[in-house]
Amino acid sequence: MSLLNISKAEKPLNRRKIDWAPYNFLLPSLILIAMINLYPLIVGVMYSLQDGTLIQPGDFAGIQNYIDLFRMSEFYNSLYFSAVFAFFGVIGSYLAGLGLAVLINKDVWLKGFFRVALLVPWIIPSIVSIVGWRWLIADENALLNEIITFFGFSSINFLGTEGGAIFSVILIKIWRSFPFMMVSILAALQTINNDLYEAATIDGANRWKSFLHITWPSIKGISVVCWILMTIWSFNDFDTIWLLTQGGPINATENLIVLAYNYTFIKSELGIGSSIAIVSLIILMGLAYLMLRFQEED
Amino acid sequence: MRNKMRFLNVLLLAIIFTIIVGCSSDSSSSENRTNNSSNGNTSGENNKGESGEVVELSFWDMSWGPSEYITAAEEIVDQFNREHPDINVTYQSTPWANWYQTFTTAIASGTAPDISTGAGFQAFQFYGQDAILPIDDVIEEWEAEGKLDDFYPGTIEAMQYDGHYLALPWGLDTRVYWYRKDLFEDAGVEVPTNWEEFREAANQLTDGDGQYGLAIEGGANNGVHTLFTLIFNNGGGIFTEDRHVELVNNELNQEAIQFLADLQADGSINPASPGMGQDDALNSFGQGKAAMYLGTPGTRGEFPEITDEVGILPALESPNGNKGTVMWVNNIMLYKQTEHPEEAKTFLKWWSENQLPLWTEGDSNQLPARVSFSEEPYFQEDQDYKFVYDEYIPNAFTTSTYFNGSFPELNEIEGDGVLQSLAQQILSGKDVMSAMEEAEGGLQDIMGE
Amino acid sequence: MKKHKGIRKTILFFSLIVITFLINLPIITMILNSFKSNSEMRTSTHILPQNFTLENYLHLHTQTMFWTQFKNSVIVTFWGTLLSIIVAAFAGFAISRFRSTFISIYSKSLLMLQMFPIILVLIPLFIMFRHLELINTLYSVIILYVTLHLPFAIWMYKGYFDSIPRELEEAARIDGCNRFQTFIKIILPISGPGIAAVAIFSFLFSFNEYLIANIFLKTEDVMTIPVGIQLFMQQYSSDWGSITAAATLTMVPVFLFFLFVQKYFIAGSAAGAVKG
Repeated sequence: MSLLNISKAEKPLNRRKIDWAPYNFLLPSLILIAMINLYPLIVGVMYSLQDGTLIQPGDFAGIQNYIDLFRMSEFYNSLYFSAVFAFFGVIGSYLAGLGLAVLINKDVWLKGFFRVALLVPWIIPSIVSIVGWRWLIADENALLNEIITFFGFSSINFLGTEGGAIFSVILIKIWRSFPFMMVSILAALQTINNDLYEAATIDGANRWKSFLHITWPSIKGISVVCWILMTIWSFNDFDTIWLLTQGGPINATENLIVLAYNYTFIKSELGIGSSIAIVSLIILMGLAYLMLRFQEED
Repeated sequence: MRNKMRFLNVLLLAIIFTIIVGCSSDSSSSENRTNNSSNGNTSGENNKGESGEVVELSFWDMSWGPSEYITAAEEIVDQFNREHPDINVTYQSTPWANWYQTFTTAIASGTAPDISTGAGFQAFQFYGQDAILPIDDVIEEWEAEGKLDDFYPGTIEAMQYDGHYLALPWGLDTRVYWYRKDLFEDAGVEVPTNWEEFREAANQLTDGDGQYGLAIEGGANNGVHTLFTLIFNNGGGIFTEDRHVELVNNELNQEAIQFLADLQADGSINPASPGMGQDDALNSFGQGKAAMYLGTPGTRGEFPEITDEVGILPALESPNGNKGTVMWVNNIMLYKQTEHPEEAKTFLKWWSENQLPLWTEGDSNQLPARVSFSEEPYFQEDQDYKFVYDEYIPNAFTTSTYFNGSFPELNEIEGDGVLQSLAQQILSGKDVMSAMEEAEGGLQDIMGE
Repeated sequence: MKKHKGIRKTILFFSLIVITFLINLPIITMILNSFKSNSEMRTSTHILPQNFTLENYLHLHTQTMFWTQFKNSVIVTFWGTLLSIIVAAFAGFAISRFRSTFISIYSKSLLMLQMFPIILVLIPLFIMFRHLELINTLYSVIILYVTLHLPFAIWMYKGYFDSIPRELEEAARIDGCNRFQTFIKIILPISGPGIAAVAIFSFLFSFNEYLIANIFLKTEDVMTIPVGIQLFMQQYSSDWGSITAAATLTMVPVFLFFLFVQKYFIAGSAAGAVKG
């Protein structure tokens, strides 16, 4: 009888003897996570039920912070922008990452160089990459606009208008995130036996069909994990936005985390700041649940 | 078998912890070395050192200049330590990025420095949270000794709040308009002396091919600074004398903001301005793509290669004949958590009197708040500093104008984004009145009105 | 047929060249700028340096603590990566292979923990580490980095282990291996690409993290590079020469390192043979 698959049906039989093996595997991570991940989360929930500041936490305020929050129009603006930012960020970086992973999984000269060169946006500290981007798109005299006008298009005001800034932060988010998608998908792609594709070609399957029946099943698991994580990271992305636009112009690119940061650290309203984080946590949990359902579908 | 499994797991844990502990003991020797220099960092830990006679103090200084600044500051601290064998001050340069978080965390966890410099209103904001130690006795002492006269008029008063003096001024930060002499010459434009000429010049220097009269870093602080500069230039102010917000109802403010809107409507301001971040407009100015730029008095130092091509505009006259610009009084403060307030004050006083090398050696981007320093050849022989001291400083106003003094909310007012959003709206060509009304509402929220 | 393949290969190659160039444009300008003087960076509109200079690098080398900070970054990254790939592998395997209520709650809550922005709760952590007397030491950030990307690393592993057929382990069990042995002897050796992916993530997270390091590492001699770079930024203007030079010097070894190790995750693709 297999010990590896402790299915639910087998459980009653084993009830008396608790199987410790899985927990042994989990123990090291469990200790660290309880100490460093769980504890601050609990503190965060408590903060959201208080008033006061970081330096002088105040009295218990019940759900007053949440009530205040749901009355603020800036909360809804930020929520909307967070959603837009996360949606396009995830889709864009996934498609770019998938496309490039498929390309560099092929037999190509300098394979190793490309694999690494395409990782660069992810390798460098955010402060550095954002500065690099700023030089490219600062105004109409910046390099990217010079290139655009060279091809006869009119220059783009990347950061000076609300729409432009929204476009730019999403673009740069995609740029910073696609290598992650690419590496993850590449790792999964490499578990596929190339003979399968050849066999499929012999059987007369076209590319789309081989993708759907050979590639997709292998990368579906990791893809869903990537979507979930990228959704979380986009929702909680502070660096890209803060360094590029600080939420401006005219608050057009203020996402929930920037709003929470502003409330916590600039307005010193700890309770509101934390309740924003909790609300966004709940939203993310909902999204993650939906995506997990999708993964478990078949 | 299961036992073996568990054993292996324990072993793994043990390995992991040995690795952690192992590397901790491994570098603890080097850590000790650094701790000697950084111990003052956590005042709580100083207790241990008290068995010895040397008092440890930690001093956090923001980076107020190029990397030479840090070297110069460290040397001054070393000199203090040599002259005061019973006190050992540790100097620590603190990055501007996320400074508020750095200090909040330190204060909330009981690891605040003993002394620090900081953003203009840091002392007031943290005083509001009971973290700052007032220095009334230092001020009293110096007043009796006549030493306060050395500070620029109004700077000591600006440190007042709640009946206490919260910090000691050391640096003046102001904004002046720089212009490109070469661009002005090429276009045959005269140096403007009032708003009307300024607007005309900005318009003529916009060539429709990437060059603009003005570029403003609206995505950074420059936009807010532009607002303050124009408002004070016109004799306005966003607070009343009794500390109420009055942005819209003051016609002088309206006129100033309308002037910025006019410049924008003329097309004289680079349209990327609402989103320009730190240094974008400055670089644009350096590249000759912006004819004028609102910068610090030290802006020339950024461009050694075109040093002769740039100059400071004379203080502009507004339509009602007023002159003026914005100024911040940067200061140095003590923290309540310090366990050695007397020694900290000793250092504070010494530092204030002996910090001239911050400029002469360290090229600080501030102007000294001490008159005697400003009379040094380093400043008097510098065309820009002398000009700014003579032309601008006498008419420079702090952001709390018309109120006399400072208060905790000022930090939030500058940092929160209400005024930044106002500047961005004007630079985007939005309606002036509604933008101002929105900003007034935001400011009133901050002030709790 | 063969010729056709050759043309396609060439097209693929050149498209990748163009894509790679465009993607790296911000980085290339950054590197080029590091060879300009600070003032040329501010005054020149040319992309290529007009007066090629190494002064930024010299300055960085002689006037700053760049190399100390570089060493700190390497230490933090090394331990952060190593510990997290070990700890996460066990947990990932457990979640992938075992079923129980606790495990399913654990695996779901891992995700939740990922969701709470750490910036807002650094203060309680800071106080905790202060009691452990680990503030201003590299251990604080190492422990934090390992733990903070554990949830992610575990999930990556789970996804990867799920793709490994269980038949392999069954076979090993028939040969008399216990679970731990199976994991060490059978699963780990064919998990090269999975480990590589997790390691890359951990590496980059530890190497680039700024907010935590900024709070926990106070003195210049224990700072990591991302914090050290921020010291070049003043309130209203910045030393771009030092920033770009530091960024370039940081990037080059990482790039070379990756160039070297990427062979190993290609070698790991032998795992594919398992399925055949």
